[in-house]
Amino acid sequence: MSFLLGTTLLAIVTALACALPGAFVVLRRNSMLVEGIAHAVLPGIVVGFALTHDLNSPWLIFGAALAGLLVVLSNEWLIRTGLLIGDAPQGLVFPALFAGGVILLSLDLSHVHLHTEVILVGDLNLAAFRQLVVNDVSIGPRYLYVMLCVLAVNIAFIAALYPKLKITTFDPEFAATLGLRTQLLNTAFMFLVSVTVVAAFHAAGALLVISLLVVPAATAHLISHRLSVMLGLTAAFAVVGTLSGFWIAYVLNAATSAGIALFYGVMFVAVAFADKLATKLRRKRRVEVDKSAQGTKPAVSEAKQLDRSRSKNKPQVAE
Amino acid sequence: MTAAALACHTRNLSVAYRAEPVLHHVNFEVPVGSVMGVVGPNGSGKSTLIKAMLGLVTPLTGRSEFFGHPLDKVRQRIGYMSQSTSVDWDFPTTVSDLVTMGTYGELGWLRRPGRAERGRAIAALERTGIPDLANRQIGELSGGQRQRAFLARSLVQEPDLYFMDEPFQGIDAKSQQAMIEVLKDLSLQGKTIVIVHHHLATVRDYCTHVTLLNGSIVASGPSAEAFTKDNIRIAYEVREGAEAFLETAG
Repeated sequence: MSFLLGTTLLAIVTALACALPGAFVVLRRNSMLVEGIAHAVLPGIVVGFALTHDLNSPWLIFGAALAGLLVVLSNEWLIRTGLLIGDAPQGLVFPALFAGGVILLSLDLSHVHLHTEVILVGDLNLAAFRQLVVNDVSIGPRYLYVMLCVLAVNIAFIAALYPKLKITTFDPEFAATLGLRTQLLNTAFMFLVSVTVVAAFHAAGALLVISLLVVPAATAHLISHRLSVMLGLTAAFAVVGTLSGFWIAYVLNAATSAGIALFYGVMFVAVAFADKLATKLRRKRRVEVDKSAQGTKPAVSEAKQLDRSRSKNKPQVAE
Repeated sequence: MTAAALACHTRNLSVAYRAEPVLHHVNFEVPVGSVMGVVGPNGSGKSTLIKAMLGLVTPLTGRSEFFGHPLDKVRQRIGYMSQSTSVDWDFPTTVSDLVTMGTYGELGWLRRPGRAERGRAIAALERTGIPDLANRQIGELSGGQRQRAFLARSLVQEPDLYFMDEPFQGIDAKSQQAMIEVLKDLSLQGKTIVIVHHHLATVRDYCTHVTLLNGSIVASGPSAEAFTKDNIRIAYEVREGAEAFLETAG
């Protein structure tokens, strides 16, 4: 497999692996918690790297993901104690863990050489460098297969537990009264997010991985009225955004993960703008139809009402 | 009253949010077939009482039983209608999907809702008078329609005991009427209903029994005995709303 094709596939698979659980992260309003995880896994990654000397080692991913879960659980515990208000617990926990990782790095533990830039924004090309060779034939980057496994696990988890994920995301209290194990499901899901973040760390770094998780889902949320549609659109935006960002970075000879994250941002703005424009056009057309049909005063209020029922801003429909 | 005649009861229930005590040693019982109104001023612990009984809030002390059993044994017989302000109405889901969620408790870990479950959801929407809204995104509903969708979601569970947290909050007259019809119907079928309610003037219209709450129980029993002017005065420490009500009630 050519290096360019391998790297492109790696970018797409990484983006999909992040974006699908990302849809639930966005709906659960946990985006900043994931940012916390992405930073807090650093000490786990440094220690894991010192032991395994391989950023793609499953042991490293599992160990560092446990560090990520520590953020989630300690965050929930701190909220319950009431010692800190709002989302301040995140501000307490993850910088401390990240700082621990930075100190471990500066101690030059077992000669771990992780470049600061790789930690912050990752390096897709570096990640794709080690090829998997079977019978003297390269079948693409080794890292591609790691991310394929993560993607498969994420899809299987979401597919198997779809109704449960949906109800615990939408109305956790009601789910609890039905006897569903909401806490167990939440912990399992956040562990999976942690695994995904650690696995994608190599390609996207601590800062940009949040973009892979959040932006395609946030973009899809703008125009989706059903969860299944939102998941489909999330995947589509992840693929389109990744391919476009990838090629822009390639042409400009810029950092790949930064190119993808930037294009994601552009895509969000474009979709938000197009949605607003479409809403406006629908309203206008409706007013014109009313005018020509009645030959009287345009039924603006009715047109607005129709528009409301379609707009994502959704004020209430009259009784 | 024997334990068999109670739909639910709680003994010595105390709850605190952090250092703030909310409920003190509450003993609360609801006879089978009654419509029990839980009434009291803001912050008197009405919602907390329900949530603590249903295990949504961990109490400091106390034990609750439902039909003579702990909650986990009889969950299928209990329905909960939460306050509509407790969820995100921008969530990408339709009204019929929301109502179908009432069946998720029966499905086990891996099964998905099928045609039967969706059919039940539509039937429940018909009972609350909004079947035509089944395919709407939930954010398009008005306040009253949201409450009717939530009511439909608890109807779909087909429970024997309903807990409803402020079901009439922020709704229009038409929705209120539709919901009252459903409640009357449930009551006729012998179902037990516990309603957290804040509008004093309508308490006697819906409720056969009343519990006046203000951190602890002020009075509890059949409406005629418990919902008296003196008890309301004590529970509300005669605040504005209660004063107006007491005046109109003569």
